[in-house]
Amino acid sequence: MADIKAVLPGDVMDTGAAARDGAVLRLGPGLVQADERTSAAAAGVLHSDGDLWWVAGNRRRYVAAEGEPVVGVVVARHGEGYRVDIGSAHDALLPLLAFEGATKRNKPSLAIGTVVYGRVVVANSFMDPEIECYNSHTGKSEGYGELAGGFMFKCTLGLARRLIGSTAPVLAALGSELPFEIAIGVNGRVWVHAEGPEKTVLAANAIRNSEYLDAKQCRQMVKELLAR
Amino acid sequence: MTRPDRRDAGQIRALHCVLGQLSRADGSAQFAAGDSSVLCGVYGPVDVRVYDEKLDRAHIEVKLRPATGLPNTKDKWTESVIRSTFEREILCHLHPRTLVQINVQVRQDDGAVEAAAINAATLALVDAGIPLRTMVAAATCAVLPGGAIVVDPTLEEAAGAQSVHTFAFGGDTAGGPLHVDSRGDFAMDEYNACYDICATTAERVLAFMRSAVEGKIAKEALLVGAS
Repeated sequence: MADIKAVLPGDVMDTGAAARDGAVLRLGPGLVQADERTSAAAAGVLHSDGDLWWVAGNRRRYVAAEGEPVVGVVVARHGEGYRVDIGSAHDALLPLLAFEGATKRNKPSLAIGTVVYGRVVVANSFMDPEIECYNSHTGKSEGYGELAGGFMFKCTLGLARRLIGSTAPVLAALGSELPFEIAIGVNGRVWVHAEGPEKTVLAANAIRNSEYLDAKQCRQMVKELLAR
Repeated sequence: MTRPDRRDAGQIRALHCVLGQLSRADGSAQFAAGDSSVLCGVYGPVDVRVYDEKLDRAHIEVKLRPATGLPNTKDKWTESVIRSTFEREILCHLHPRTLVQINVQVRQDDGAVEAAAINAATLALVDAGIPLRTMVAAATCAVLPGGAIVVDPTLEEAAGAQSVHTFAFGGDTAGGPLHVDSRGDFAMDEYNACYDICATTAERVLAFMRSAVEGKIAKEALLVGAS
């Protein structure tokens, strides 16, 4: 990473030449505008990509955002859909027909406690979030849906983002040793499934341990877990 | 004049803080000044009771537990101080219909615990990623019977003091205090002197907190860069 610019809440952002030219600035997470000034509202590393600016920091509590893949647990069933706990302030709504190939007559029936992988389609602070387990444009599941078997665990949102962005070395280290399935939610919930409970728990532990390890340390850690 | 712990009048006790110590809280921090130590855990934004729900902003709840025994009236007062201080500094409107819970546990009380609680709450809120307008830092000083002003008094000094003053400031102390608590008999010039001393001290506390948070950010950022 070329430059790490840590910002703290209240730090006034130096948008440089962009703001002076009167160009439009787009503010992402962690930045707020008050009067003429743009300042940070959260602690993290300031990033910019063209006219887009945001602050990336690690946290534990998920705040739903549109389009993000999440892993959740069904907590209730209503007439119109399921209530799914995705770790945000409010449970998400999963409509009964938001599955691949679901019709009024033929739709999946999920028990309470089922783990599902879905995508956030409605997320704003004034409404409860809504998720769906298929792509409503193509009608295909695209990997979303019920996650049967396996094991779900929680991690920080920063680790989840690194896992899903394939910048986490642990997945490569783990994948070279044993086959496993994984569903990563950016809400800090990860589901893994491998052959038998021992391998599944091993994969889960390896991922949980990996937060502060680099590629070499990850390979070493996975080897040690396998040797046990 | 010598202080019981041989400090200078304008010298604060050694500061110490740990971020993200609690594994289950969304954000946590321990803040200690000498033997006064406070642990703070923040949960939020989480689901709110219907009774507390606000349609346009987050509800802020503060729970303070003393080092020993049950919370008394003074602890309840400190809770309300922390709540009113942070209600204005947390960007509540960004998370309507939710709750931000600030739990403060006093681990050891050796004076200036209200300031330590505010500092710990700031760090825990930053750790939790709750949107803040600015960082908040607090400092305490006491006017002794002889008229001498000592900063960051211990419990013993505060008990024998003529007046004790606690001030909380946002990131920019020039913007005025966010919270003032003055107890005892004092003249206006004593108050003004205490204000100036606490403003300077709060800036130093803020610099300390900044370096602690920056250290944590750098650790995580380097990791992302390395992988």
